[in-house]
Amino acid sequence: MPRTSYQDELATLRGEVGAMADLTLDRYWEAVEVLESGDPQQAQRIIDGDTELNDWYLDIERECIDLIALQQPLASDLRFVASSFKIVTDLERIGDLACNLAEYGRELGGTTDVDVEPIARLAGEMVEAAMAAYTTADADTARSVVVRDEQLDGQCKRASETIVRQLVTDGVGAEPIDQRLQRVSRLLVTIRDIERVGDHAVNIAARTQYMIENDDDLIY
Amino acid sequence: MSQPTTDSATEETAESDDRLIETEVSVSETVTQPAGASTIIDVGDLSVYYHDDQALRSVSMEIPERQVTALIGPSGCGKSTFLRCLNRMNDLIDAARVDGTVELLGQNVYDDDVDPVALRRRIGMVFQEPNPFPKSIYDNVAYGLRVQGKADDIDLDAEVERALRSAALWDEVKDQLDKSGLELSGGQQQRLCIARAIAPDPEVILMDEPASALDPVATSKIEDLIDDLAEEYTVIIVTHNMQQAARISDKTAVFLTGGELVEFDDTQTIFENPADPRVEDYITGKFG
Repeated sequence: MPRTSYQDELATLRGEVGAMADLTLDRYWEAVEVLESGDPQQAQRIIDGDTELNDWYLDIERECIDLIALQQPLASDLRFVASSFKIVTDLERIGDLACNLAEYGRELGGTTDVDVEPIARLAGEMVEAAMAAYTTADADTARSVVVRDEQLDGQCKRASETIVRQLVTDGVGAEPIDQRLQRVSRLLVTIRDIERVGDHAVNIAARTQYMIENDDDLIY
Repeated sequence: MSQPTTDSATEETAESDDRLIETEVSVSETVTQPAGASTIIDVGDLSVYYHDDQALRSVSMEIPERQVTALIGPSGCGKSTFLRCLNRMNDLIDAARVDGTVELLGQNVYDDDVDPVALRRRIGMVFQEPNPFPKSIYDNVAYGLRVQGKADDIDLDAEVERALRSAALWDEVKDQLDKSGLELSGGQQQRLCIARAIAPDPEVILMDEPASALDPVATSKIEDLIDDLAEEYTVIIVTHNMQQAARISDKTAVFLTGGELVEFDDTQTIFENPADPRVEDYITGKFG
């Protein structure tokens, strides 16, 4: 096959994005554990490790720019490089959100007011599905992520309402009011950030659908 | 028409062997035809043979007016053969035989009553290597008008200036019109040839890899010029440079080995999402 080195570079890019996604998801699942456990050491490891993801993101972005500048990819290759370029941005943001969740988990000392773990799991599974769609070029799986996002949004909305309802109906109880409000605030942003992880999964799925089928309906 | 017709015929004949194919198959192709501007050239079921070898296979294509249409494909695919058919340059190749029709605004250019020389005034041509005559810049541009016998009826100076301005060369040569065209740089020589081609005010300009012998700066000037020319003329360009086709053309036709027109569509579609997997493989470099 002609342009062997170019084909190798495309394969390398695909592998790099997949590997970055694996690391991002590892960090995310660890953050979900911290939400349960409140383990401060684990939270700190996640936060410290974010630099690695940021550097990886910049490296892959550079690889994409080099490919465009030096190899001028076209057609499906162009869509693949353009999609990869955008997807690593979403992965980097998911990494940031994992840091946020780890920080919230540490501050909360574990979430007991509302069970966020199933919601967080759904968001993480959406990212896994979106990346599986990307690596296997499976447009149907990409589309399924959008359907699951509606479920996630509904669950996040209900969880937020539960937290606020508890505050209204139960009051602050024996807990100091500032501490109680801080806790409620942290729980609400935790749910918000989980929802954002789902949004990034949808972005990845949208770019993947464009990459596979030249269909930008999900993007715009 | 001006002299490049003859100059290039020799050159093109020498190249024709590269375009021969080994097998003969009669195929009627179905090709997508992009919607848009009105059609200036309507090619119907066009086949070309060099002796017994078929170099172009039943090509049908509607070429839009005042747009840039790029013809791309690997060496030997028939794109230059196709280009030469449009103004009957293949008449100059003894071994060539043409079947099918090429209608310029409704008239088949291969009808017996069509004068090929007059046709080439309406469909001018610019070749790969700049080939100015060993004459002054002025005389290069005026040549076609003089051959037509128009020189006494028109303001020749004004027409030369118009052509040089249209070819984006006027500002660079207006004070040295008596200088030999051969003393210009390669890029300027090519723009002089374009000025010479447009001086008789053709409707269509054919270009066969017009920038392949030029450096990037001269190439970018030619590309800008092609963009400007398309406001007034229909431009059909053969290029091996796919990025150039992507940059400058409105429509792209992809020929593949064997003289088959595989896909013809808006340039953006061809380079972002071609319908035919063979085109996808070709433009992404997997063809081979």
